[in-house]
Formats: sequence, C-alpha cells, structure tokens
Amino acid sequence: MSEALIEADSLFMRYPTGRLALEGASLAVRPGEFAVVLGANGSGKSTLLRIVAGIIKPTEGIARIAGQEITRLTGRALADARMTVGMVFQHANLVKRRSVLANVLCGTLGRHRNFATALGVLPRQEIPHGMHCLANVGLQEFAAQRASTLSGGQAQRAAIARALAQRPRALLADEPVASLDPEATNQVMRLLRHVAANEGMAVLCVLHQPDLARRYADRIIGLRRGVVRFAASPEEITDQEIGTLYEDTARYEEAGR
Amino acid sequence: MNSEVSELVRAESIAAPHSRRLRETRSPAWTLLYIVLFLVIVIQSGVVVNARPQDLLTGASGMADILARSFPPDFSQFWPQLWPAFETVDIAIFGTVVGVVIAFPLAILAARNTTPARFLYHGARALIAVCRSVPDLVWALLFVTAVGLGPFPGALAISVHSVGMLGRLLAEVIEDMDMGPIEALGTTGARRMQIFSHAVVPTVLPSLLGISLYRLDENIRSSLILGFVGAGGIGFQLLSAMNLFQYRTVSLLLIMMFVLVIGAERLSAALRKRIA
Repeated sequence: MSEALIEADSLFMRYPTGRLALEGASLAVRPGEFAVVLGANGSGKSTLLRIVAGIIKPTEGIARIAGQEITRLTGRALADARMTVGMVFQHANLVKRRSVLANVLCGTLGRHRNFATALGVLPRQEIPHGMHCLANVGLQEFAAQRASTLSGGQAQRAAIARALAQRPRALLADEPVASLDPEATNQVMRLLRHVAANEGMAVLCVLHQPDLARRYADRIIGLRRGVVRFAASPEEITDQEIGTLYEDTARYEEAGR
Repeated sequence: MNSEVSELVRAESIAAPHSRRLRETRSPAWTLLYIVLFLVIVIQSGVVVNARPQDLLTGASGMADILARSFPPDFSQFWPQLWPAFETVDIAIFGTVVGVVIAFPLAILAARNTTPARFLYHGARALIAVCRSVPDLVWALLFVTAVGLGPFPGALAISVHSVGMLGRLLAEVIEDMDMGPIEALGTTGARRMQIFSHAVVPTVLPSLLGISLYRLDENIRSSLILGFVGAGGIGFQLLSAMNLFQYRTVSLLLIMMFVLVIGAERLSAALRKRIA
C-alpha cells in the first residue's frame, strides 16, 4: 500500500461560538483514490475539508498533504503548501469577465510569483499546460470565451481545470455538484473519478447524495457528530449504515448550540 | 377599566411592526394633524426666504430688459472664449483622473472585505468622508487662497471632492463583489497581490470605469461653477462678463455651457453603455 497523500489525524474543531464540529476525525486518502465523505448537515464534513485545505486551523490534531503538515504552516509556507492541493467549491468561483483560459491559468500563479504576475499579467509559458488541462475536462474549444458564457456544469469543469493547472497532488471538492442538474452532476463526478484514476491524485469529495457516493466513489467515509463512523468501499457498506449518518441529527444540532 | 386600557396599549405595541393595516384604521384626527404640520413647514419656509410673488411681477420688466440686451449672442466672442471652455473641460479631466488614482487604493482600504487592517479601514473611511462632505466650491475657495487664481486650484478642488465621491461608491462596489473567485485563488497558493490583480481588479473594473465616466460628467458641471470663485475656466469668464454688463457675451457663454454639459452627458452615457 502506497503512502497516503491526504491525511487527517484525530482532528478536533471547536468554533468560537462553542460548537464542537469535529471530535477526533481521522482519515487517509491514497494516490489514485476517489474518496467521498458523507454526512448530515452539521456533521463536520465541510469543516474537515477546510482544515485539510489549510483554510482554517483545527483546535487540535494534524492534517498532512503529501507528508506536509498543512495545519502548522502560515504565510508563505502555507501558500506554498496550498499549491500541492487543488480545491473545488460548490460554486465554480470563476472570474466571470475573463476568458476561460485566463481563469485556468490563474491556477498556476502560485508557481510564478514575480512582478509581472503581481500586476495582473498571466504567465504565457503556461498556456500549453492550461490548454492541456482544459482538454482534460473537455472544454478546449471554450478557451477564448468569457467565463460568464459557460453553463453551470461547464463552469464547474473549468474550475476543476483551474485546480488541475496548479499541478496538485491532491484534489478537494466541497459539494461540487450541489447546484448542478443531474446530467452536469454525472459529468463532474465522472471527471473527478477520472482525475483520481488517471492522474494518480488523491481526491477527497464532500457530498450529501449517498447514491452518487455509491456510484462513483472508491471509498465512502461516513462522518457523524464530528467522528468518522466508517470508511470502506461502497460494496462493503449497507444502506442501513449510511442511514445511521442521518439519524437524530436535529437533536444533535440543538445540543451543539 | 385601567387594566382594559393597559391591555389595549399592549395590543397596539405588539401590532406596531405591521402598521400598514393600522394606518387605514387610524382616526381622521391624526391625518388632519399631519396635514396641518406639513402646511406649517411649507409656510414657514416661504416666510424665511422672503417669498414675495409681487416682486416677480415688478421684476418682469427688468428681466425683459436683460434678455433684450443679451440678444443676439455675441458670436464674435466665440474664438476668444474657446480657450476658457477648453480649460473648463481640462479641469474636469484632470480632477477626475487624479480623483480616480487616489480614490481606488483608498476604496480598497475602505472596503470591509479587502482592507488589510481595522485602523486603515477607519482611517480611509474618515478621509473619504472629509473629502466628500466639504463641497467642491469650498475646496476651490481654500485652494484659491493657497495657490492663487487660475485653473489649477479648480482642478485641485475637483480632485479632492472626487476622491470623496468616488471613494465611497468604489468601496461599496468592492464590498458587494463576489468573494468566491478570491477564496478560490487563495487556495491555489496565489499571493495577496496576485489575487488582487487577477481577481479583484477584473471584477470591479467595469464598475470603476462606469462610475469614473459618470464622475467626469458631474465634474464638468462643477468646473463651470468653480470659475465663480476665481478657479479659472468658463465660469470665471461668465462672472467677468456679468460684472462688465456684457450681456451678449453672457448669453454666448450660457450657450457654450449648455453645449458642454449636454455633450459631456451624452458622451459619458454612450461610453458607459459600451462598457456594460
């Protein structure tokens, strides 16, 4: 078994409001693996992802990306570490007035820190790489179009291309299909699985649709009340087990406040 | 009975937030009171401004006299007055450009989502408020005292006032901006300055240009007036012609101002349409 690219080791997270979002959550995702985190609202799945991405710091515990402790880094070192992990959000978050290719090239800014890029110039030498990433998501013919002209599903694929342009070793996705129609949803899910399988990336995706997790994931990680309850391949998990994730969440949320 | 009254008062205070229905059932005495109050306010304003309609009638002959004396406009003055008109437009252009150049960085400090520090936010807000709350005519008076007569104090006055007007509008545009792309670029490992130039600037640039063009239009109007306090341009010519009773020059200048204002308005609107 190869070394895990995404690792979380007994993460605890208490927000300033006093809400305890994570209570010792641990997980590991290997290269080439597409892992999906399932859980009810308030189970801590988004918190988990944001800690692994280095956006927020946990109260306790360690998260590692490709062996680097992202939870301990700040400033420039954190920006460097973030380059190794791509992130996709619920919304595509493209700069709508720029071209699709320009948006994708923005993903490479981290490795081109100079005077010109600070003033808004895109790194020209990355254009072939950007086009390659667009081809990967099937959008190469849209490269010169404004991002605002893309449909929701196309925009999300362009956002994935931007994350790939970073040349990351791991990809995180926070409910990437929550605002997409069924067809676009399946395209994006297939793409994420493809990225894991063909690029050897570790992909960790938060979802709230168990059926999608069953259909696409290599491994399902069940999160309930801030603790990982199970982590196994879809065949090994019963519907009842998934159902337990969504039990008495209302009562828990009340207690947590 | 006392408890009944307090019951009623309580019921009314509970119903107060949805007062739309209450207003229809309000007693006519209140409506009458509001009408009387409104009339009192209007009448006192008439008294304070010494409004005497009969003055308009007796003044009519004087008005007609001035109109007659300012007709026809003295078109021989057109070429000599073209330079001051040009000066007026350039005061506005200079003021707008300097205003934008100073207002944009200030607006970034004065927007809650982009400001690097709390004290910079408050400092920038305060500076913008001062620039805005002092009218440009007053700024012009101050600058005329400081640097002397001529177009330069006018241009400075317009610059400072524009910083105030543009700063606030731009800060609002930045605060209303979609933060998604900024967060997304942050997770790619881009530096602060890169995020700013690649995500913030392209997002707010159309609004920035639109607001600036609108400001240019407003500033051309302002710079017409600024001449009255000695800050150069066509306004100064108008004041001199009035003082010398050269009413035919005055009417020519008024026509030139009209053309300038309408032209600036049309041009600014047309350019803004192209950006949108």
